[in-house]
Amino acid sequence: MPLSTQSDQGDGQYVLVASLDNVRNLSNILKAIAFKDHALFNATPNGLKVTVEDSKCLQANAFIQSEIFQEFTIQEDSVSFQVNLTVLLDCLTIFGGSTVPGVTTALRLCYNGYGYPLKLFLEEGGVVTVCKINTQEPEEPIDFEFCSTNVTNKVILQSDSLREAFSELDMTSEVLQITMSPSQPYFRLSTFGNSGNAHYDYPKDSDMMELFQCTKTQTNRSVTHFFLINKGRFFCHQSSNYNHNHLHGFNSTVIPLSRYKMSLLKPSTKALALSCKVSVRTDSQGFLSLQYLVRNDDGQICFVEYYCCPDEDVEEE
Amino acid sequence: MKCVIEGSNVKVFGKAIHALSRISDEMWLDPLEKGLAVRSVGPAHSSYGCFLFTRLFFQLYSLNISSPQAALGRCKLPVKSVLPLFRCSASIERSVDSCKISTGLSDTQVTFQLFCKHGITKTYNLGFQEHDVLQAVFPAHLCPNVLKAQPSLLGDMVIHFPASQEEVTLSVCPKRVTMRNYCEERDQIKVMSTEMSLHPEEFDYFHVGVDSDITFCLKELRGLLSFAESHGLPVYVHFGHPGQPVRFSVENMVLEASVVLATQTDSESEVSVQPGGSEDPAAPSVCLSVERSQSWSPCMPPSVCTGGGVESRPQDAPPTAPPEEQVPSSQGSPVLSRPGNLEYFGLHVATDSGAHAAEPESADPATFRLHSLLFGAVSSPWPNEGDVLHTSLACASDTEEDNMEERSSATPMPIY
Repeated sequence: MPLSTQSDQGDGQYVLVASLDNVRNLSNILKAIAFKDHALFNATPNGLKVTVEDSKCLQANAFIQSEIFQEFTIQEDSVSFQVNLTVLLDCLTIFGGSTVPGVTTALRLCYNGYGYPLKLFLEEGGVVTVCKINTQEPEEPIDFEFCSTNVTNKVILQSDSLREAFSELDMTSEVLQITMSPSQPYFRLSTFGNSGNAHYDYPKDSDMMELFQCTKTQTNRSVTHFFLINKGRFFCHQSSNYNHNHLHGFNSTVIPLSRYKMSLLKPSTKALALSCKVSVRTDSQGFLSLQYLVRNDDGQICFVEYYCCPDEDVEEE
Repeated sequence: MKCVIEGSNVKVFGKAIHALSRISDEMWLDPLEKGLAVRSVGPAHSSYGCFLFTRLFFQLYSLNISSPQAALGRCKLPVKSVLPLFRCSASIERSVDSCKISTGLSDTQVTFQLFCKHGITKTYNLGFQEHDVLQAVFPAHLCPNVLKAQPSLLGDMVIHFPASQEEVTLSVCPKRVTMRNYCEERDQIKVMSTEMSLHPEEFDYFHVGVDSDITFCLKELRGLLSFAESHGLPVYVHFGHPGQPVRFSVENMVLEASVVLATQTDSESEVSVQPGGSEDPAAPSVCLSVERSQSWSPCMPPSVCTGGGVESRPQDAPPTAPPEEQVPSSQGSPVLSRPGNLEYFGLHVATDSGAHAAEPESADPATFRLHSLLFGAVSSPWPNEGDVLHTSLACASDTEEDNMEERSSATPMPIY
């Protein structure tokens, strides 16, 4: 049930007020991106976007639309602040994590604006906790310039099978290579670990594959190209960073390669665990976008996405 | 070699790998004419496991025998490379349709491919080292004692021992079979002792040619026992005198599996064993045996030895010197405790403080000097090991008499 306002200022003073009957609809999603201490909150009339970044190579975003909230009032077009996400999650889960049927913790989140702390009112079973968390100067998030028009390959998979694949990945491998191609092996995850290399292949017609859009081939840094010229004489050529679409006419087999540091992708498994579907996209620069469709406790849909830079240390094979 | 394992057999194969992982960190794949042998040898060569999957086990088994050896695809792999592929047997059953293993195609890699539901294919190219395959030679037909038990019987016995229990002693006589935990005497006060006895009728087959107490490592056996239980295969136990290896084996139409373990020698045979291996043909040194680091031979300056556990002697053993302590035996046979042994051999037990000073960390099995399992390498440097083994087995009973004579003439040892 909605909390009565207990603030020292009237509601009108807050630039952002958001209420949830079940705080888990927020905390669960935030846990999926909580691999760093600090998070950037950006609220717009559409809802709440929370961003976490790591070493300028990895960015995770969680989107909770305004419709998810029982109350979502915003006085400005965009409200941004940075908070310690670990502390925030500790507060959101202050009544403990266990789910007793019928009992939920309610949340009222209030923000006064720049320079003011973030106020949280949490209530469960008549007990109210008030938390004030200091906010920090919001930093500009990285713009990976990942837009749909740049997307070269896109695949949507059921999360179940990808979960299994990720749980079995060889962690001694420094990189995860994601190969998407209109021809065999279609969609392949590869690791190069101490015992040897491993490949997970998903055919494009697998029933785990909801969408398979790999119409273009793509190169990405230091790729060896083999051209078949004149009945079996091979010409080997190395190049980087330009598209070889035009070579199809020469029966070229260009394997698109994208390698990502395993350590960067590891946090995404939390989001994978929560999700029911995941879309995997790469763009012409080799940037990876993983988008997870998450259903919360009430069956509403939220999104989590991860952007990852390709591994710069790729060596010639 | 190329083979394909289908359906539920993939899980069986995975369980075999799990069982072998209890023995060692490395395993050998040895493609043979009759099937694929997967072997593992424990550290210090004191244990050996082998699973032989016959051709019937596979949906496809193709071996190019005319190729040079390298192409046959013998390889040694770290178990930790292969184990993750078969890590979760429940999920294997659910999701894996078949498994294809290819060796010999590359000099450095063996390929495992798992074809799973939803069209997913998992390919693993694992690096390996080429190696001569080791194989333990164990003449089961010469073992005086043979037991056959349902896997649940043995499983029920071992479940009473904590997972940390390293070694157990299996004692047999015509009337009963007893299993108890083994521990050094100085620990006996602190450790919970567990002992259970079974009646011969509980075994499917029971033949005891010679009363015997064998002490072996239980941990290495658990893998095979759980494999046997999950497939409902009866377990055969072949063994003889203490010091001779014991073999546990299971088999069915499509596979044969065995684990051969070293057993501790008892005190009589220790006397005749020279440190570093014996030339004495009467000594069972070529058998799989565990020898204490301080030998009791007259040639060695004795450090005070904590010796073996409480043992019951065979019924036909000669009367021993009256021991200071007598531990009652459930079997009613006379029993020697260690101090008694030392007295008997003319060694005096130093005072406690002295004893501890002189005593090396002998309680730790790792310090026991081990004679190797009788291994026949594929290209064996020892041509006549089979013969020697026969000799030693045949001499076992003679050895006792020899030892008895030696004992009576042993001179008192100075204390160091």
